[in-house]
Amino acid sequence: MTDHRSSGGDLHRLLDEAFAGIEVTPEIQDLKEEIRGNLLARMGELEASGLSQADAARRAIAELGDVHELIDVDGTADAASTAAAPAARVGSPAPAARAESATAAALRNRVRPKPGFVVRTVVLSIIGGAALVLLVLGLTPLLALGTGALIGLAVVFGLALGAVTADALSQETTTNHRMPAGRAVGYGAATGLLLAGLAFTPVVVLHLDLAWLVLAGAAVIGAIGALSYLGATQTNRHKPWVVQQHREAANIGTRFEDDPASGARFGIYTAVIWTIAFVAIPIIGFTAGWIWAPLALIGGFVAMMLVLARMLFGAKSENARKTE
Amino acid sequence: MTKDTAAGATPDDAFAADLLRGHTDTIVLGVLRRHDSYGFEIYKLIRDATGGAYEIKEATLYASYRRLLRDGLAEAYWGDESQGGRRKYYRITDAGRAAFTQNVAAWVATRTIIDSLLGSTPAAKKGS
Repeated sequence: MTDHRSSGGDLHRLLDEAFAGIEVTPEIQDLKEEIRGNLLARMGELEASGLSQADAARRAIAELGDVHELIDVDGTADAASTAAAPAARVGSPAPAARAESATAAALRNRVRPKPGFVVRTVVLSIIGGAALVLLVLGLTPLLALGTGALIGLAVVFGLALGAVTADALSQETTTNHRMPAGRAVGYGAATGLLLAGLAFTPVVVLHLDLAWLVLAGAAVIGAIGALSYLGATQTNRHKPWVVQQHREAANIGTRFEDDPASGARFGIYTAVIWTIAFVAIPIIGFTAGWIWAPLALIGGFVAMMLVLARMLFGAKSENARKTE
Repeated sequence: MTKDTAAGATPDDAFAADLLRGHTDTIVLGVLRRHDSYGFEIYKLIRDATGGAYEIKEATLYASYRRLLRDGLAEAYWGDESQGGRRKYYRITDAGRAAFTQNVAAWVATRTIIDSLLGSTPAAKKGS
């Protein structure tokens, strides 16, 4: 892939003209910058094929077509999304239908767990639990097991729960798509290693030379490193309807931004509530006994949360209920 | 394109273009599945893959990116190009990979059904 880049020349002016008369929102600005980057790449290609910079700019803009088309496509009215692209069909109902409650959406998108998966998980969890119980008992004089058996139990414990983890992540659920196999196995292996390493530690402390702690530590640290890597590179695996619900939930709670006065009122109420609570502590302490004093703090916290709920959602209770 | 392709349809037929456009999101996911990419590169990869016979309109692609972002099937991030315009890169998510796999399976199933309905299965053609 050639990577010739053009400086743009006339392009920037032409792009400004194409966007003339369009209200500049952050989304539009973002789209414009994205288009600019793409057009510069297209111009680089055209210039490499021998066009002058001015011609390349005109040609690239002409190929883009009418910018208004790009802006109006956000609804479902555009041809591409109604043309039954399966990915687009999922969770993109008409705007009016978007107010679906989370419970209704969850019911409609419900995915039943596979029977085999449930059986596997139950059996493996029992094996893992039994291994842990035997390990703990084996460490005590009740059931003094040999060192080899204890290490074996630690390994079984890690293997069983690691397998449960990998299995669970590679299942499709109501809210999540299944995780790709490699990543699911990675999570399972890291979890298993972490748990086996942790279970191995008391065996070392009680039965082995303490130098073996290095091995347990290496397993635990390696597993934590692997889990950190997997966590940092994790991408979305929620289904579109869940993403939609999250977006709606994010729309509430902006009352303090929309109405700074209610934010200021909340600040004053909070100060009053906590002043009363702190004054109440010694009063309750000296009269009813110090054991009751924390009640003042709990009362203050409850009062503050009630005020917060009232101030954030009071006038918009319908919105708040819709997203619950 | 040999005479073997179905019913002599040329890819620039409105019908063929419609069929392709209906799968824009899946096609884009297919490109992103290999590596992160930005708008023009995706456009070019699709154009080159069709031998230049068919071009997905840029407006269709921008609409597709927006749907993919909205549905959580792809993530966007800005590149760190120092000169010229910055590029907006798209990365497929785990949800996107799952949706891609599902869509490909759906396509294969549909293709078989339509082939048998239209009598255009490769085996039937060879036999005739």
